[in-house]
Amino acid sequence: MLWLYLHFPHLLLDHIRRDRQDQRPLVIVEGTGQHVLQACPEARNRGVQTGMRLKTAVTLAPELGIVRAQPEQDARILEDQARWLYRYAAHITLVSPDGLLAEIGSLQKLYGGLPAVWQTVEQALDEHRLTAWAATGHTPLAARLIARAGKGECTGDRGHILRTLETMSLATAEFDAKTCTRLQRLGLNTLGEVFALPAPELARRLSPEILAHIQKIRGTRPDPQAPWQPPHSFRQQADFVQEIEHSQGLLFPLQRMLSELEDDLCWRQQDTDSLHLILQHRHEEDTRLRIRTSGPEHRADGFLNLIRLRLEQQPLRAPVVALVLSVKRFIGREAPAGQDLLGKSQDLNEAWHTLISRLQARLGDHALKRLSPQEDHRPERAWSASEVQSKHKPRLTNPEHLPRRPLWLLQGPQPLTEPPTAWFSGPERISGGWWDGERVHRDYYIAQLRSGQLAWVFRDVREGWFIHGWFG
Amino acid sequence: MAGLDSAMPDYAELFCFSNFTFLTGASHPHELAERAAEMGYTALAITDTCSVAGIPRAWAALKDSPVKLITGSWFALEDAPDGAATPRFILLARTRRGYGQLCQLITTGRRRAEKGLYRLFFRDVETHELDDCLCLWLPPTVAEANTDQAQACGEWLLRLFEHRLWIAATRTLESGEEHQLARVRWLADQLRCPITACGEVHMHSRERQPLQDVLTALRYHTTLEHAGYCLFQNGERYLRPLPVLQRLFPEEWLNQTLRIAEACSFEPGSLRYEYPPDLVPSGETPAGYLKRLTHEGERQRYPGGTPLQVQALIRKELELISLMQYEHYFLTIHDIVAFARSQGILCQGRGSAANSAVCYCLGITEVNPANVELLFERFISKDRDEPPDIDVDFEHERREEVIQYIYQRYTRERAALAATVIRYRPRSAIRDVGKALGFDPALVEQLLDGIDWRDKATNWRQQVLDKHLTRNPSVADQFFTLVNTLLGFPRHLSQHVGGFVISAGPLAELIPVENAAMKDRTVIQWDKDDLESLGLMKVDVLALGMLSAIRKALALIGEQKGVPFHIQDIPQEDPATYAMLQKGDSIGVFQVESRAQINMLPRLKPETYYDLVIEVAIVRPGPIQGDMVHPYLRRKHGLEPVNYPNDAVRRVLERTLGVPIFQEQVIKLAMVAAGFSAGEADQLRRAMAAWKSHGDLTPFREKLITGMLERGHDADFAERLYQQICGFGGYGFPESHAASFALLVYVSAWIKRHYPSAFYCALLNSQPMGFYSPSQLVQDARRHQVQVLPPDVNHSQWDHSLEGPDRHLRLGLRIIQGLSREGANRIHQNRPGSGYRSATELRRQAHLNQRDMELLAGANAMPGFTTNRHQAYWQLLDHEQPAALFAQDTPADYQPDHCPLLPEPSEGQNVLADYASQGLTLQRHPLALLREQGHLRFCLTSEQLKNTRAGIPVQVAGLVTGRQRPGSASGVTFVTLEDETGNVNVVVWLETARRQRKPLLTARLLHVKGVLEREGDIVHVMAGKLSDLSHLIHSLPVNSRDFQ
Repeated sequence: MLWLYLHFPHLLLDHIRRDRQDQRPLVIVEGTGQHVLQACPEARNRGVQTGMRLKTAVTLAPELGIVRAQPEQDARILEDQARWLYRYAAHITLVSPDGLLAEIGSLQKLYGGLPAVWQTVEQALDEHRLTAWAATGHTPLAARLIARAGKGECTGDRGHILRTLETMSLATAEFDAKTCTRLQRLGLNTLGEVFALPAPELARRLSPEILAHIQKIRGTRPDPQAPWQPPHSFRQQADFVQEIEHSQGLLFPLQRMLSELEDDLCWRQQDTDSLHLILQHRHEEDTRLRIRTSGPEHRADGFLNLIRLRLEQQPLRAPVVALVLSVKRFIGREAPAGQDLLGKSQDLNEAWHTLISRLQARLGDHALKRLSPQEDHRPERAWSASEVQSKHKPRLTNPEHLPRRPLWLLQGPQPLTEPPTAWFSGPERISGGWWDGERVHRDYYIAQLRSGQLAWVFRDVREGWFIHGWFG
Repeated sequence: MAGLDSAMPDYAELFCFSNFTFLTGASHPHELAERAAEMGYTALAITDTCSVAGIPRAWAALKDSPVKLITGSWFALEDAPDGAATPRFILLARTRRGYGQLCQLITTGRRRAEKGLYRLFFRDVETHELDDCLCLWLPPTVAEANTDQAQACGEWLLRLFEHRLWIAATRTLESGEEHQLARVRWLADQLRCPITACGEVHMHSRERQPLQDVLTALRYHTTLEHAGYCLFQNGERYLRPLPVLQRLFPEEWLNQTLRIAEACSFEPGSLRYEYPPDLVPSGETPAGYLKRLTHEGERQRYPGGTPLQVQALIRKELELISLMQYEHYFLTIHDIVAFARSQGILCQGRGSAANSAVCYCLGITEVNPANVELLFERFISKDRDEPPDIDVDFEHERREEVIQYIYQRYTRERAALAATVIRYRPRSAIRDVGKALGFDPALVEQLLDGIDWRDKATNWRQQVLDKHLTRNPSVADQFFTLVNTLLGFPRHLSQHVGGFVISAGPLAELIPVENAAMKDRTVIQWDKDDLESLGLMKVDVLALGMLSAIRKALALIGEQKGVPFHIQDIPQEDPATYAMLQKGDSIGVFQVESRAQINMLPRLKPETYYDLVIEVAIVRPGPIQGDMVHPYLRRKHGLEPVNYPNDAVRRVLERTLGVPIFQEQVIKLAMVAAGFSAGEADQLRRAMAAWKSHGDLTPFREKLITGMLERGHDADFAERLYQQICGFGGYGFPESHAASFALLVYVSAWIKRHYPSAFYCALLNSQPMGFYSPSQLVQDARRHQVQVLPPDVNHSQWDHSLEGPDRHLRLGLRIIQGLSREGANRIHQNRPGSGYRSATELRRQAHLNQRDMELLAGANAMPGFTTNRHQAYWQLLDHEQPAALFAQDTPADYQPDHCPLLPEPSEGQNVLADYASQGLTLQRHPLALLREQGHLRFCLTSEQLKNTRAGIPVQVAGLVTGRQRPGSASGVTFVTLEDETGNVNVVVWLETARRQRKPLLTARLLHVKGVLEREGDIVHVMAGKLSDLSHLIHSLPVNSRDFQ
């Protein structure tokens, strides 16, 4: 058995940088935003280091871009890498948060030797614009330790690998902190010196677990690895440090994602006829787009054209901070696409989506809305017409607690042109909304007009009178 | 105008939250008070939630105003009587007795809940005596409770507050108001109870609505965008003009407010401190007892007879104390100090009243009025009705004993700590406003880190836009305004460092008491300014590390001499001690050990006690900003004539050679040189004290400068004096404190000079304290020829100790980081006469666990039976332990267990291991090793620099032990480098620092090319090129252990 280990020293950075055109220094910070977890080469050039306080980092590089780490995101990105590596090697193990392990002994014959395997992987890394430290090892741990120490070589020679291990310092051997301190207190500095100690003494004076670890590194104890299974659906995400304001700017990352989709579909030997695109915004609900092709499709170009058309039709509601592309529906290449979309085989949910999709195609996205109440004192904001596909569930307020409002609210206030004949209640003063630039300051009254209609009228700060709605 | 109009109604606001109802009220109490006065209100009640914390400030603002202040509080109960809605109401104090009842109820609610919260149940209201309080009921809204529940609630209150209950009606112009008013009228009719108007005030002006919204969003942990109906519908909850109120409320409801206001006669100014009578023996008057104690002390202090001058002083002081009836205050402090004395706890009083002849006789201070000519004018001011001020410092390790004594002597009912109001500062304000506006927290943090807080000209608005916190410029403006308004708002009450309030009766009837965050601590709802403004007294019980160190050093000296040794035994005005200080040799000495002080000592050349008083006070923002340091030094050394414009100024400045140094002098000068009246000078003093939080000094500038010009002083001096006043702001350092501190400076310097090993031993045993790390202290000790020995299980105790006739300093086991104290004590107690012979014996005899054993091996603390730390470690990693019960010593237990495979530690490895385990090494300094290895070829040592000519280019290198950017030095960074011979002072100018941020901020081992500068004995390197040599630390040995 021979193992290949890929260590991604700054996977999240690579992930973000490959969808960016400018190359400002960039760092990943931990959740609380206090310390730097990863720094890109530009940032490192200015002295920013891993583990440094963010405050210090910003002092060193004032224009620093900052991204906050999220563990779920790391896991997702690592899985993305496993997906393409799976095309080359069947036995893969994910070593979170930043490593992939592949059994390559069995591939040598297929590719025509170890150097060919190595080259293939390096080329793939290059294509994906990823930084990885690779190493081979006769055990999974040996490969991992050598890779993480940056001492990887393309070799299958067990003796050579062991010699490399022996020169490595204890800190790189992944003992827990306590063990590491203990070994150092014995004056031991390299892995070789630890290998030299008698095994029974090691187990007795340190612990059996340490002995087991060492044996796994050297290969005198088995270290089985459970193989990873690829997921059944496709999902890719691009995260942006700087918000993207125009749909044009989405095409660059989309191109890459679609070509990964094409690769994925080819590998699956399948097509699809619907893509889900989620545009995430900072302060607003996500925009969810569902793109349907006229028939089964797998080509990136084909998808890109459709999406471009769709985005041209529909300007962005708000700047985009992240983009998710996912495909859940796969169609076998040889099987013909279903004839009747509303046929018996489709469930109701599918039928609903198809109906919405058709209506949207016919009427345009803007024609379809879903109504819901919204907690806001400003009458025009007390309800919302949101995206039909949004999954957002509005908070429900007890209707008894809701303020008294007319059933018919006008699209916008209309000037009141006649003095009302009678006043029924008021004033009710509404003032608020200063924080989003749409401040209102009004006194509302219920008044009867000459026509006998009950109107909801208000006077605003600028001394004007308006009708805002009608009571039945 | 409003008041003159006969048609205009009168009105008293009875429902008003100040910002002491945290995250609810959006105005300071004084803002509310001032606005109520402007609006022509008859009275204003401050009714914070289960609190009277805002009262003193409102009272101070309304003291000279026709608006009457009413004390009250708002409550919402946790539960309700059967079938009734949850009661919410306001209680107003009708009389002093009613105020006591209110405080008692608040205390009950607060003491029962976690810090910052309260819990009151309807049974509490039934069982507490509240017959001197008035109640305003706020009936539940239609949405909250049905009519029956509302009525039941009203009936319950009516039973408790018959003829003292009103139903409160508000007009906030919100949706559903008609229904609520209808309910109020119906309830009034049913209960036959009058209705009163109220404003439900949350802010003094409508302009505060945005801030009120922000606070509400924060209270609900949400953003403004998502706050929805949590926010108020409009901004009507402010102090509205009378005509508006007249339009909104029926006349009868407005008139009721006046009747209520008239019924409330309690006035916070009438609160008087009632002293605990316990201290005076029966049959004696307080004055007589104080006199007796003073005379007893006098006989001890002056065995040869009291000097005439001191006798006169004592007489004068006692008269003044009697006149002001402050006997109890002095007796209280005497009692606490006497307790400390009896327990052998060292203490020292300071403050204006502390340095008096009476306090010297009572043992509160050691500053002898016979030896020092001090100015006691501020002792107690007859003109100002202001309590005397005595702070007492105790040994920091034993202050808790004193606090427990106070609790025990006066009980928790009668003693509590004063509060400290924690207020919004720029960071917290920016963070919270950013949170409410929905800014990304990471970006807000980045903004905070990017702001240069010293640079007052920072354009926040631009930074907010630059960091993409928001794209909307108007939001950036709002942000800026909100942050500025929020600054200084109270956030919560914390405990004061040591200010105790002690009373005769239950404290809870004087001031509400609530829980502090610390277990078993209670605080009152007022802080020290509040107490001062109401003329209440507090006793400051503070902690001072140096006192612990001095006590320990005195004990070691006594041990050496064979007789107890006291501070009084230290000879006065010892020339050798002053000679040492003049050289700037002051590491470890109280107050004068900082870098700035070390540089000042050789310039000021203190020769007498009073020079030390000046030394302590001169290196502070006040004199530095006022540019008073250089003139003083020139005059002290006779380089500039000492002259005075007139005799009045001479009297103020004579002791300091015509240059104002102390805060008292500056204030006095404002009177004699700028014509301030006594009252104005007092205002100036208060403004200075408050300057940092919310005070404003600019109004005084004009008056000060014109006043001084009119009286013939030159404009430059006037401007400098103003700058000095600004410098004192927030850091005022009066002569009375400097005098007490100078005494400790002298004592600690004397010990350092004459008993260096006792001095360092005591300092090390009192850590953490002071400016320097144990490593720096040990190096300084060795430079003073103190022999320092390593920790050793066969010689060390827990504490550091002095060994043998030569008084060698043996490091204690406490230096080993992480070692358990119990384990260390057992090592000492169970040690066999001949010492431990093996690791096994040590483990067995001292019952040590594996962790402690490993720490001992890491510290190489077993040199008696192990060859080196690696082998020591190998021995004790053997987990097999003999069955303890029947363990027989076998010869094998004393056999060294040698492993030939382990390498011998190198010197470098030992140095690093020492640092890792003890934070210091007794072997060679790492810099000496690096120098020997040829890494620092052109670098001069700190010692060599002393003999190097000024002005020539030099190179130095050292471990970075300090980086400082003092506020008083514009943009300069001071870096301290440590090498094997001492410390090197490096000065980095702003431009140099900007260009070389990376090495400056991150290097642990720094190399500096620069130019040597010299002033007398003080040597600096003005940095040019900085380089980071930290990697060399790792090259010391082959060892990856982190070096700290």
